[in-house]
Order: sequence, then structure tokens, then C-alpha cells
Amino acid sequence: MNRVLNLAAFNIRVLLSDPTWFFLSWALFALQLAIYGSLMSKLVSPNFPNYFFFYGIGLMIIIVFESAEDVGRHFVENAHEGELPYFLSLPVSRGGFLISQALYGVVNTLVKVAPPLLIVLLLWGNLTIVGALFSLLTLFLLGLGITGIMVSLSFIAFKAVDIYLAVLAGLSALLVRFSTVFYPLAFMPSNYSPVSVLSPLTYGADLTRWALGFDPRYLLNPILAAVVVTALAVSTLSLSARIVDKIIEGVKAA
Amino acid sequence: MAVLISLSLSDMLVTALVLGRMISPEYFSFLVPGIVTVGLFTAATDTGRRIWLALREGVVQYYMTLPIKTSGLVVAYIISGGLGGLVYSSALLIIASFAVHPQNILNAILLVPFMFVLATGIAGLAAFLASISRRGEIYWVYAQALQVSLITISTVFYSAQTVQQYLPSPIATIANYNPLSLTATALRDSVFGGQLLSASILSDMLSTSLPLAAIGALAYWVILRSLRLKGKP
Repeated sequence: MNRVLNLAAFNIRVLLSDPTWFFLSWALFALQLAIYGSLMSKLVSPNFPNYFFFYGIGLMIIIVFESAEDVGRHFVENAHEGELPYFLSLPVSRGGFLISQALYGVVNTLVKVAPPLLIVLLLWGNLTIVGALFSLLTLFLLGLGITGIMVSLSFIAFKAVDIYLAVLAGLSALLVRFSTVFYPLAFMPSNYSPVSVLSPLTYGADLTRWALGFDPRYLLNPILAAVVVTALAVSTLSLSARIVDKIIEGVKAA
Repeated sequence: MAVLISLSLSDMLVTALVLGRMISPEYFSFLVPGIVTVGLFTAATDTGRRIWLALREGVVQYYMTLPIKTSGLVVAYIISGGLGGLVYSSALLIIASFAVHPQNILNAILLVPFMFVLATGIAGLAAFLASISRRGEIYWVYAQALQVSLITISTVFYSAQTVQQYLPSPIATIANYNPLSLTATALRDSVFGGQLLSASILSDMLSTSLPLAAIGALAYWVILRSLRLKGKP
């Protein structure tokens, strides 16, 4: 376990050594919330109250999603640049290696998402310890689930990086556009709603909003959302563990 | 290109449609030309990614052994970015015309050269960022910042009146003169709205895009020249 933590700590130190990404992430969050969020909430307000709050949480889900994508890309980049065989040669089990990657992803996500979440809740006057902790837990579980999907997909990159990037872009578009990240299920055309409930982001976004006190009439059932988010994290991490265990050995990245 | 088209299509057929239901049915027609403009922007900025990759993976050194002048190489990159943006946005415009009926197709044809100049300007800006990205992944930091700030502070998603009404006037001015806003407005008014092409919008498009193309070309030329003289950028 000590070796796993050492490996995770090494990756995290590399991540924290360049804070540019974090500052950029926070600055872009503030810019989008202040301009797009405030203007769109004025346009939407006659039909949908408190869109500003709704959009703010949606932006945080996007940060979590992009952080999880980062972990997948980091994994592929490691394989592409020859670092992966080195990591695999270390006296750490494949499962331990995956845990170190997941810890790296969790730190990446929490550093990007926790400060804006706490500041925004403070500004909205909506900061409660229970709400903040529960929403962070939801975002953490969602991040783990998406990380599992991204690492599981990385085996495509071992055949062709271009196809991997194309699949990633297409999947991201579908998962985000058809989810309730930026608009509630109530406003989706009836033929889009079944697709929307297939997106894990829908459950993560609605559960976070519920935890922070958003009007539950516009959200999915929180118990269902909690079950789906937890099941997603467990299942995709198990899948990626299997992939790391069986497929990755001796494979050279395309 | 298929991925880019599918991204813009999902913006059009999902995001614009749902936001139209939340705001008003007219909002869909308002947003579709904006999505075409964002598509042009995305395709043109691919030039930056290609320059960044070429500098990083040493392809530029190979290009410099070819019987072509440095300035020729620079112009080729900028023009290819412009053409990429133009081809992509034209394809999107054709697709968009099935969703929102265009009132004046002739205006769309007349706008093509100006959209090409805009795309070269954006390609120049991306080339500039790629050229000054000396270390690792920093280009992606710049590219993301450019994309989010240019699209957010524009009239792609909201009208100029809305921006003026709710945001401070310096931000409204930036949004109005943003090349993406100018193009979206030109498409909305003259292609989908049936109004006459406004000479002032066209001249604003040229005057905001050409300097960007020139700055990008200059930055890339300086990098290539350093490579030729010193062997490193």
C-alpha cells in the first residue's frame, strides 16, 4: 500500500508542480458564470427560475468531466511516451497502479472543483457543511465513474490514438449535450428524454443540485441518482481494473 | 471533420432546440447562425494544434528541408487554416439551412470571402499561441482560454442588446467587435434575416481579422527563422 501511495504521490506532485491549469480552470469558471450564466439566466427566467444556480452546478459537472478525461488522456500519454511500461515494471500490482491513477484523478478533480464550489456557495449564501460535503462526495463519485470509463476506453488508443480522440470527442458530445448539465429534463423534447437518462452526468448533476437545495420538481429522484452514481463508479472502475490487468501488458501505444 | 460536424450538429439539434424551448421558439433561429460561426472558429483553430504538433514532433524541420521559402510555409499554414474553417462552416451552413430557412442565399455566397478572411485571422491567432508555447502542454491552456473567452464574450448566444443591458459597457464593446459576433450578426441579418449586407459589418470583419492573421503569420515566421538560424525555436 505504501508503494501505491508513493506512486500516487509522485503523480500528484507532478500535477501540482504546474498550477497554470488550476488557475485557468478557476478563471474560466468565473468568466462563464459571470457572463454566460448571468445573461442566460435573464433570458430563461420567465420560464425557469434560478437558472444561474442551475448553470453554476452544471459548470462544475463539466469541470469534473474534463478532469476525468484528463486522467484518461494522461494514461494514454504515458503509454504513448513510453512511461507506462516503466510504471508497469515497478513492484506495484496492476490494481495498485490503477488505484494510484484514480487517486491522481481525485486530487486533480477536487483541486479544480472544490474552491469554486465553496466560493460560489458562500456568495450565494447557501454554504452549509452538510450540503458542501454531500455535493463534493457526489462530484468525487461521478469523477471516479467517468475516470473508469476513460481508462477503459484507453485500450482503443493502443490501436490508434486518432480513433481514441475521435471516440472521446463524440462520446463527450453525446454525454454532455443529452444530459441535464445545462438544461432540466422537463424542457427536453420527449424523444430526447430516454437518451438523457442514459447519461451518467444527468444523475451526477441532479444529485449535486438536490444536495445543494435546488427545487426538486426539476430534478430526478435523488435516491435513484445516488444509486446510479455509486454503481457507475464501482462498475467502471472494476472494468478498468480488468483492462489494466489483462489487456495492457506488453501493448505498445499506437 | 466528421467529429467536428457531429459536435456542431449536436449543438444545433440538441442544445439550440432545448434552449429554444426554455427561452422562446425564435431563439433556435437566433442560435443556429451562432453555431455555424463557432464551427468556423473550431476548424480554424486546428491550425494552432497542427503547428504545435509540428514544432513538438520535429515535422517543421522536415518542412524546412523542402524547396520552399519560410514565408511560403507560413502563408501555406495560415491559408490552410482559413480554407479549413471555410469548408467546414460552409458544410454547416448547408446543414443549418435545412433547420432554418435562409432568406437570401446570394448573401451567403457574398459572405464567403469575408468568412475566409475571418478564418485566416483565427488561424493566425492560433498560430501565434502555438508559436509562443515553449513548454509542454501550455498550448492547450492558451487554446482553451482563447476559445472560452472569445465565445463567451460575444453575441453568439445572446443579442447585443442583452449584453448592453446587463453587462458593463467595456464588455459590451468587446462583445460587439469580437469577430465571432460580427460573423454571427452578418449571418443572422443577411442570410437568415433577408436584410441587405451591411458594409460596416463587412469592413469590421476585415479590420478585426486581418491584423490577427498578420500577427500569427509574423510570430510563426519568427519561430521558423530562429529554427533555421539557431536550430531551436
